[in-house]
Amino acid sequence: MVALVSEDDKSKEVEPEVASSLVVTPNKVKDGKRDNTKDQLSPFASVKLSVSLMCLMALTILIGAGVPQESQGGQEKVFEVFGNQVAEWLVRLGISDIYHSPWFLALTATLTLNMIVVSFQRVFPKLKLLKNSLPFFRGQDILKLPVHYCLNVAKAEEQTALIADLSVRLTKMGYKVKAEGSKLKGEYGLVGRLAPSVTHVGLLTLLLGITITSWTGFTGFQPVLLDEKLNFSDSQHSKLWIGSLPKWQVRVDGTRRENYPGGQAKQWFSNLSVVDDKGKVLHQGEISVNNPLTYESVDIYQSSWGLAKVAVSFNGHQRQLDLRPMGEKYACFLPLDQDTVLIMSLASEGKSLRVFAKRREWQAPKLISEIQSGKSIKLGDVDVVFEKAIPVTGLQYKRDPGLPITYLAFGIIMIGVLLAAVPHRHVWVAVEDNRLYMGGTSRKAKVGFERSMDNLVEKLKASFTLQEHAQLDQGEQAHV
Amino acid sequence: MSDFQLYLTNTAGLSSVASFWVFVASNGTKRFNGIALKVANGVMLVGFIALTVAIVTRGIEAQRFPLANLYESLLWFAWATMGGFLYLCRSYGIQQLGWLASLLAATMFLYGSWLPSSQHDISPLVPALVSYWRQIHVPPLIVSYAMFFLAGLSGLLNLWQSGRLRSLAFCVGTIIAASSAIGLGTFSKVDTQWLQILFVASSVIGPFLAFRSLPVKDAAIEQSKASSKAAEMYDDVGYRCVAIGFPLLTIGIITGGLWANHAWGSYWSWDPKESMALVTWLSYAAYIHLRIQRDLSAEKLSIVSVIGLLLTLLTYLGFNSLGFGGLHSYGKFK
Ligand code: HEM
Repeated sequence: MVALVSEDDKSKEVEPEVASSLVVTPNKVKDGKRDNTKDQLSPFASVKLSVSLMCLMALTILIGAGVPQESQGGQEKVFEVFGNQVAEWLVRLGISDIYHSPWFLALTATLTLNMIVVSFQRVFPKLKLLKNSLPFFRGQDILKLPVHYCLNVAKAEEQTALIADLSVRLTKMGYKVKAEGSKLKGEYGLVGRLAPSVTHVGLLTLLLGITITSWTGFTGFQPVLLDEKLNFSDSQHSKLWIGSLPKWQVRVDGTRRENYPGGQAKQWFSNLSVVDDKGKVLHQGEISVNNPLTYESVDIYQSSWGLAKVAVSFNGHQRQLDLRPMGEKYACFLPLDQDTVLIMSLASEGKSLRVFAKRREWQAPKLISEIQSGKSIKLGDVDVVFEKAIPVTGLQYKRDPGLPITYLAFGIIMIGVLLAAVPHRHVWVAVEDNRLYMGGTSRKAKVGFERSMDNLVEKLKASFTLQEHAQLDQGEQAHV
Repeated sequence: MSDFQLYLTNTAGLSSVASFWVFVASNGTKRFNGIALKVANGVMLVGFIALTVAIVTRGIEAQRFPLANLYESLLWFAWATMGGFLYLCRSYGIQQLGWLASLLAATMFLYGSWLPSSQHDISPLVPALVSYWRQIHVPPLIVSYAMFFLAGLSGLLNLWQSGRLRSLAFCVGTIIAASSAIGLGTFSKVDTQWLQILFVASSVIGPFLAFRSLPVKDAAIEQSKASSKAAEMYDDVGYRCVAIGFPLLTIGIITGGLWANHAWGSYWSWDPKESMALVTWLSYAAYIHLRIQRDLSAEKLSIVSVIGLLLTLLTYLGFNSLGFGGLHSYGKFK
């Protein structure tokens, strides 16, 4: 039950009035200043505000997910999907680049401020309450709890045994039990109470990590042909930036694709050398998807692969023709005259070049010849040599100095939300005047708690001579 | 796919249909209610076990983790729905959720079996999916989706037991409209634009009308003690489902980020599917905060949980079938 440890006063509306006033007492007395501090909470400490912000944020991202984003498909994609008129509006309103719009940035800033303020003013201060241990309750108090039982103990000699027995059973159920004479109290899932603090520490840590990255990190993507170099000149970083770019470059020494037997791509590989400005090799390695190369905290990833060009020579004139991906193959088109197109196609291995001709009146292109790499054929009086296929490897790179902190944050958040699933529960027992009083509260999973208590009572009834007490009926009402 | 595999999956599918009918029938009889519920539960358990074995053998047959395409993820979803229900049933004895849970599982089986056979086949993986991260990232997500569905269904039962029949009707209507949009988007050639409109419009209008109709109550149900007890229980069950689903969604999103960072060098790229998972996450974070602040009544929270169900549906199946696309497009096959 929320009211147990000085939760918001709203809880009273939900919980039986009596029970909360009773249970809140220990804290009320203890922190009499509490209401004052509440007035001093900044307007940013409102959870209503955060819920509204979260909903607005969710809505904004929803729109961003539904509308193609410039940062992903480019502006053309937006025009393609929506047509000129609508697309122009989307661009003007910033919806087609919503994650960089002033609206989104303002929302993020407000949410961040809100979270920082709430964490320090409302969430963390509650950690202090963890040290407060709740008192033992008398029978009359127990009857005011949301879940409670009152049973007559027929045999007076069973009274002490009852407490001992309950103590054992509750301990088995995971409660931390304290007994004192004819009274007992038990607490379950205290770690669950750490959940809000841990989660919010995690969220703040995440903000820190992201900020460090945004101020000092960079990312980028560059398609690099075989034997050419990746430099970092067109990398991206935020406007507020205090980082620096590497002086060295990365050369692609080799790159290939590995297929499944059916011909679909299984994996792409590239052999890279890190070279300084004098051409000296500083580091070497092979990368593949899921297996990056790291040098001076810059990570280089294999992110796409293709055949970019085919080198052929016609009667000794060398030419490099651009290839287009066509399904699992790559092809280029050479118009010969008005009606005839020469088509060259390559499978991803790039070992053999198939040459087709297509005339307007033909339904499908006709295969003329297949040339192995390094070999030549004669087409009419033209000598065609297939020299080689030139692959391109798509390299994604980044430096992310905030990453360790971000990862730490991920870990803390995961622990925090897992802790939030642990219900925090209290049980009190008192044996007075031949009556057993037992009751408790659970902040979460109340019905599960009630069932576990019902079970416990059934078990007690089986081992002791207990009878329902008439008062229970009256109690039942408070119960609902 | 081997015959044994097919046999097991069919058993699971049929048992979810059978347990649905037994759960429904159990409401028709007072005398045999207890037995009928036990039978229904038993049938569900058989299906759950069959499906567990089916998934495991599928993995062995394919020599990879059996969660790589839409069909397999539907099997996992049905598995988590059945398992989630059986777990909740053990600690709550909530039988009424049973027919909704089996209906949900059966729908997923049906949806899966209607997919073109290319989706059923055990096919090789594209380079991006060849990673041990896949098995860490996807299962928590699927299970969390199933838990959110169960939470939404508990929300419906809460509305029922608190006598908010009109709100309930709006919520059910919305869910039917939204799922129809997804069904049509997957299996028909209807222009996805209309389906997007159907999905979005019903998801906005339905819950709105449901909120507006909350003051309309069925007095007889509302005053029944048994009903209000049951309403309270479904409220609690719904929260429990979210309390389990939320950490799983968190873990799923974070491990997805770790994987993406490992594979592509950036843990977040605002890919539509990724963004949708974040939308769902934020919505449930809002739900949790509403809950601990106790600003909303149980009935309102139930409607919020139905909205959550719609968002989950959109994240899980809607984005691919309604033609939004994105990086995570293993669900696309048209
Ligand atoms: C952005 C502004 C946010 C504010 C102002 C806020 C505020 C709060 C407050 C006041 C509590 C209650 C603490 C208590 O009762 O002891 C809480 C708990 C919690 N918050 Fe937040 N929060 C925010 C964002 C988030 C986000 C994004 C998450 C996502 C993981 C989150 C996760 C949690 C969890 C897991 C709890 C514990 C819930 C429980 O005990 O069941 N919060 N938050």
